[in-house]
Amino acid sequence: MIERLRKGHAAGLAGLLLLTPIPGLAQDGATLLEENCAGCHAPGENGALSRIAGQRKSPEGWLMTIVRMRLFHGMEIDNDVQSQLVHYLADTQGLAPSETEGYRYILEREPAVVEEIDAPLGEMCSRCHSGARVALQRRTQDEWDLHIDFHVGQWPTLEYQALGRDREWLKIAREEVVPMLAEKYPFETEAWSTWQSAEKSDANGTWVFTTRLPSKGEAYGTLEVSGETQPYTVAGTLKTANGDEFAVSGKLNVYTGYEWRANIEIGGTTYRQVLAMSEDGSTVSGRQFLHAEDSLGAAFKAVKAGDGPAIAGVVPSTLAAGEATTVQIVGTDLSSIDLSGAVVASGGTANAYGAAIELSPDAGTDGTVSIAAGDASDKDGLAVYSHIDSLKVEPEFGVARVGGGGGSAGKVPARFDAVGYWNGPDGQAGTEDDVRIGIIPATWSVAAFNEEAEVLKDVEHAGEMDTSLGIFMPAVAGPNPERPFSTNNAGNLKVVATNGDVSGEGQLIVTVQRWNDPPIR
Amino acid sequence: MRHLKPLNQKADKVVKAVETDNMDEVRAMQTVVAGCASTLDPGWEVDPFGGVAALCQPMEADLYGCSDPCWWPAQVPDTINSYKDWNADADNAGKDWRSLGTVFPSDSET
Repeated sequence: MIERLRKGHAAGLAGLLLLTPIPGLAQDGATLLEENCAGCHAPGENGALSRIAGQRKSPEGWLMTIVRMRLFHGMEIDNDVQSQLVHYLADTQGLAPSETEGYRYILEREPAVVEEIDAPLGEMCSRCHSGARVALQRRTQDEWDLHIDFHVGQWPTLEYQALGRDREWLKIAREEVVPMLAEKYPFETEAWSTWQSAEKSDANGTWVFTTRLPSKGEAYGTLEVSGETQPYTVAGTLKTANGDEFAVSGKLNVYTGYEWRANIEIGGTTYRQVLAMSEDGSTVSGRQFLHAEDSLGAAFKAVKAGDGPAIAGVVPSTLAAGEATTVQIVGTDLSSIDLSGAVVASGGTANAYGAAIELSPDAGTDGTVSIAAGDASDKDGLAVYSHIDSLKVEPEFGVARVGGGGGSAGKVPARFDAVGYWNGPDGQAGTEDDVRIGIIPATWSVAAFNEEAEVLKDVEHAGEMDTSLGIFMPAVAGPNPERPFSTNNAGNLKVVATNGDVSGEGQLIVTVQRWNDPPIR
Repeated sequence: MRHLKPLNQKADKVVKAVETDNMDEVRAMQTVVAGCASTLDPGWEVDPFGGVAALCQPMEADLYGCSDPCWWPAQVPDTINSYKDWNADADNAGKDWRSLGTVFPSDSET
């Protein structure tokens, strides 16, 4: 196992393995658990297996647990059995939708979240891994206690690392952190018992979506989900704002009645979707990203056809004044559209993706537009602009990683958006009443963030910014003999976006690779 | 410094700094005076000053000083307990880093 891992794996392999079908007559999950886990996990008085019975987690959490049993303890398990066990455990000991709120970014592999984890969990837990990794688990107090023991046993130096040696780490962990976690993230919750008994929605059906592709911009389309057993089949069409059309096909797993995990091909490129269905099953939302480069992705939102009018979004969502444009209101059952705000219009032509409407806002138009269609509405879903007062770079702080060069860890690029703003009533930029226009075209560049970066020539060595896409591709991994002390191609860069005479800045850290990159970081 | 002899480039720089009265410019963990000491605990991705110049770089120079004592186990596979053979075929990280594998198996996805 280790020998095989050391050699690394071809990117994209996992995309194929998701297709492993779960047999229609799969063995009962409880039987599989017994057969594969009871060899080590002894049943307690109530027959429940030790350790396993007192925990609830996300599908990725359970997957990481089983993989850890393989890697650390030599467990042998077929891939299809592993997949069935993850389904069974996530369905019977998962998290309610509300229990994942606020922490979905870690499942979605959002690359630029700066967590703010309060003490003591910040120093005790998230100095090594994300705070979300903790917050997406539920355990009995005994289990949280054993979790601490496991950490000390498996990674014994944690007590003398920074933020460990300056305090009585184990005492704090046992006496403060465990009771806190048991109260904050308890095994038994009303949210979970309610969700367990709730009727779950069916993913099968037609979905109409909006998203943004890393190099193609805003897009919309349809997904048809079908099948009796998981993984379900996904087929559809994606259209870009420029009018390009791509076939979509793939496979979908749904865990815990709402956790949507799909690998789909769009025009020959594999994307991954980590989404959550709403509790009523009418919408699904989350993040879609390149399977091979999960830092490149964007929000994805879809509405389900068949339950009356619904709007997923507008493409394009920003519109330069003075130009005639066909605007696609993306949704379902949109027979008549009403626009209000900076542009007032009615009508539109229904199509497979909602309805399209021709707009020619007068030069000089500035403001947002709300869309209504029957019971459905999208407030300020469209912005028309003749000018931009200020521009912000999102994310404000991004991270890229060097990679490639024959190593197992690929380059991790970073992608930025330029978001335009109007000043608002006070006429000042950067104040609370600024009005967000939305993502606008920009010209991108990087510069040294500070004097150190200047001296070390970070701009020259750290990588290259795509001037139109805002995607920074980092340089190759490994020591660079051309740099002082052969240092890596890391860098501290200022990211600059410019539209006309307006510009905005962000910061990009180009740093070293990681060899441990599990589904939950 | 009469009784101390510099053993590497970094130490040599320090000696020169002393000789030229430039010790004010010597700052621990700067890439410009590359080095690493575990007790100073730079971050794995970002240094204590929010940049990368004070990271331990080139990272390969002290990579096994991270993996052996389990220093950044969430980023670097620890060879104490979890991945004992991770660097078995890569004695010199500076030259052999390409043979170090990523440890989460790609046959496993939800």
